[in-house]
Amino acid sequence: MATEQQTGTGGGDDEQPLGLTIASGAVAAAVVVPLLWLVKTALDVGFAEAVALVTRPTTVEVFLNSAVLVTLVTAACIGLGVPLAYLTVRTDLPFRRFWTVVVSLPLVIPSYIGAFAFVSAFGPRGAFQRLLAPLGVDSLPEIYGLPGAVLVLTLYTYPYVFITTRAALKSMDTTLIDAARTLNHSRWEAFKRVTVPQIRPAVAAGSLLTALYVLSDFGTPAIMRFDAFTRVIYVEFGTFGRDTATLLSLQLIAVTLLILTLESKIRGDERTTTGGRSGAPMPLGRWKYPALGFAALVATVGLLVPLGILFTWLAQGVAATSGSLAFQPEYAFNSVLVAAATAGAATLAGLPVAYLAARHPSRLSSVFERATYVGYAVPGVVLGLALVFFGSSYATPIYQTLYLLVFAYVIRFLPQAIGSLRASFLRVDPALPEAARTLGETPSGAFRHVTLPLVAPGLFGGAALVFLTTMKELPATLLLRPSGFSTLVTHIWTAYEQGYFGQAVVPAFILLFVSGLSMLVIITQEGYDVK
Amino acid sequence: MHERDRELRRHSRRRFIATTAALGVGALAGCTGGSGEETETTTEAGTNESVGQIGSGRSPFGEREITGGVSVTEMPDLSGELTLYSGRGQALVGELISFFEEYYDEFTIRPRYNSAAELVNQIQTEGQNSPADVFFSVNAGSLGALKDAGRTQELPSEVLDLVRDEFHDPDGQWTGTSGRARTVPFNTDQFDESDIPDDIMAFPDTEAFRDNIGWAPTYSSFQAFVTAMRVLEGEDATREWLQGMQDLGVTEYNDEFLVSQAVADGEIGAGFANHYYIQRILAGRPNASLSTAFTAGDAGSIFNVAGALVLDSTDDAELASNFVRHLLSAEAQDYFARTTFEYPLVSGVDPIGELPSIDELSPPEALDLTQLSDLEGTVELLREVGVL
Repeated sequence: MATEQQTGTGGGDDEQPLGLTIASGAVAAAVVVPLLWLVKTALDVGFAEAVALVTRPTTVEVFLNSAVLVTLVTAACIGLGVPLAYLTVRTDLPFRRFWTVVVSLPLVIPSYIGAFAFVSAFGPRGAFQRLLAPLGVDSLPEIYGLPGAVLVLTLYTYPYVFITTRAALKSMDTTLIDAARTLNHSRWEAFKRVTVPQIRPAVAAGSLLTALYVLSDFGTPAIMRFDAFTRVIYVEFGTFGRDTATLLSLQLIAVTLLILTLESKIRGDERTTTGGRSGAPMPLGRWKYPALGFAALVATVGLLVPLGILFTWLAQGVAATSGSLAFQPEYAFNSVLVAAATAGAATLAGLPVAYLAARHPSRLSSVFERATYVGYAVPGVVLGLALVFFGSSYATPIYQTLYLLVFAYVIRFLPQAIGSLRASFLRVDPALPEAARTLGETPSGAFRHVTLPLVAPGLFGGAALVFLTTMKELPATLLLRPSGFSTLVTHIWTAYEQGYFGQAVVPAFILLFVSGLSMLVIITQEGYDVK
Repeated sequence: MHERDRELRRHSRRRFIATTAALGVGALAGCTGGSGEETETTTEAGTNESVGQIGSGRSPFGEREITGGVSVTEMPDLSGELTLYSGRGQALVGELISFFEEYYDEFTIRPRYNSAAELVNQIQTEGQNSPADVFFSVNAGSLGALKDAGRTQELPSEVLDLVRDEFHDPDGQWTGTSGRARTVPFNTDQFDESDIPDDIMAFPDTEAFRDNIGWAPTYSSFQAFVTAMRVLEGEDATREWLQGMQDLGVTEYNDEFLVSQAVADGEIGAGFANHYYIQRILAGRPNASLSTAFTAGDAGSIFNVAGALVLDSTDDAELASNFVRHLLSAEAQDYFARTTFEYPLVSGVDPIGELPSIDELSPPEALDLTQLSDLEGTVELLREVGVL
């Protein structure tokens, strides 16, 4: 196996990466094996029924709907994420750190809470309409359906593109842009011909995360009353049709594989490598205020709408409070604990996979890398049940413990670490670690002292993504947490589900605050060793 | 008004904690005589006048006398560790569960909260390795789903005999623990009770409801109501009814609490909701222009239950069924009436609030609760008509 992949190596280390290949394969196997439960359960449905189910007209129709949704949201996320990343990294936008944190935060708002807030605010008779009622506004244009679903999903997933693109821009060599400018390229031309090819792998990695998230999201299409594919699965689960739901999830995985192949094709030639030198930020000039306005608008719509709605609940006292729901600081601690453990574990597990895929591209290494994406595209409930099966059957000692819970998170969010890491490894000039080797470094020493510092921004960017998304994960948490273990999100869910909306406000704020704080820490780290 | 409500709750919570402490003491003194702690507890007991009142009629959760039902003191002691999968939210039943835990010294509950449907999926996936002993659920449908999957065991007659036959499974595989009636909340500034038709099928033709009525079609109790209509009136009549309501301009809400609130605010004149949402609003706003109407003998007046069952895979069936029995104790029944405004199912414990007694309700006789498990057909129909 290890010798075969040498054929695909276009440069890089001369070492036989046998250990690396084994490590990478082990990670891929660990995250894919639990999903075999899906196949096992789906087989219980029966072949004839399965075929009928998969080919019935409604299934096909909702499938097309999902495709449209995924395409539109992904395009919109690139439209928001790339300019915001550029503004916060390469320009002299005032308070860049502040904006970086703020525009990353929508990622921690569970999209079903976001969707519910948007419906409450902008529904035909929502809070916004009531505000405008004195002006004679009887009802607002319909927010339901495709436009609403695209809006909400874009607002809560564009940070994927933002964070990965940011990491790429951070470690990009800007002297190339200066060179292009001296060759009489306009700013736009320089961006197009120099920056775009450099950040393309990162933008693609972020877009892939967005696309797969949208594909597997349950809550938003349901609340927005848009007939996406997951709604069909959701209905099955709600009506005790577990096996059918599982079968439909397999279909979802098939589409995921299709998207993964597609993304490999458009990645194009990504062997471009550079060092990490960056010059002075680009002055915005008269564009300063429009740029500020743009960042502020995105942050306002994404963050203030849901928070505003939470506040109105608190103020109106929509529901009474329940003694059992008193907030405990332990919830915040638990959230941070599992999120940090997951971020660490996912980064460690992601390193060999990403490194192998970037430095020793071969069919095998790319199969390993792509395999880690499958768990990410499976809806949380389905992944949760798969691990319920594996945990209760083969790993009883860790079933309903934090170990299995963190493992589930790693399966779900590993690609976020890998996507970002891989894009960073690709930008490291192989000549640098080679030079270190000629100076007497061991291969692992060269990796630690040369490569790792160069990919640090990508590593922290990926860890940040994993951390933020773990903080908000709900369905797998509910299924796999130790009995009696509560996090901020399970607490928000409890309050929300029982109609004690007011009591969801405090944990929601703490969730945002803690996430904001961690983002700040991560961003500080991100800057280390990058000039 | 909200302030006042909070004050009320704070008060009753304080009282509850005080009484619980006293109860634990009383139990110790009464049941485990001979333990080393006896002297200590009796001294403490002497300082609290409510000791010994459990079983003598005083509710541990608030100020009223319970005359009927079987007190916890008359039930076998609970001891050991019990894993409870609860489809009922922590906000609603958490306090009751800690009450039992504190009442018995040797008893620990490991509660696991999630939606009922997901817990059913989880139990099925865990198979015989499930750590769950008892499943506590919001509706008969999810209890029936586990029964159909063969994952239940028969409850002893001491448990089943506590409730009327129609409130437990005919084969004794699960029992209801509290009840909820389908009702029509209406705004008293707009309607008198006599204005509300007592036939649910007449609603689409009632012009007074045009653009003035609300429902929550994604909510499971609403779907159980539509399922009942399909059973009682047939598929076509149900489709027509749903279509008729849409033509009438029915407003959609996210859940039935919001429906009831919109009625109280006068945003709509009437709606469809479980009875306790109305009571919850009235508890917070006693002067709200909100009241309850009932239809008679049709899908609009079904009486569904929240209930519990013992898993076939439990390793302590006796403890598990004794726990279910405790959910039917006079104290637990009083708790449901008080905290969740549900109907107690054990006769002798009355509902709280402006509600008719359970015997005055007229649910459809041709329907038993096990018929409400076909949710799938209902969801299909709701989508076909464009409600979902």
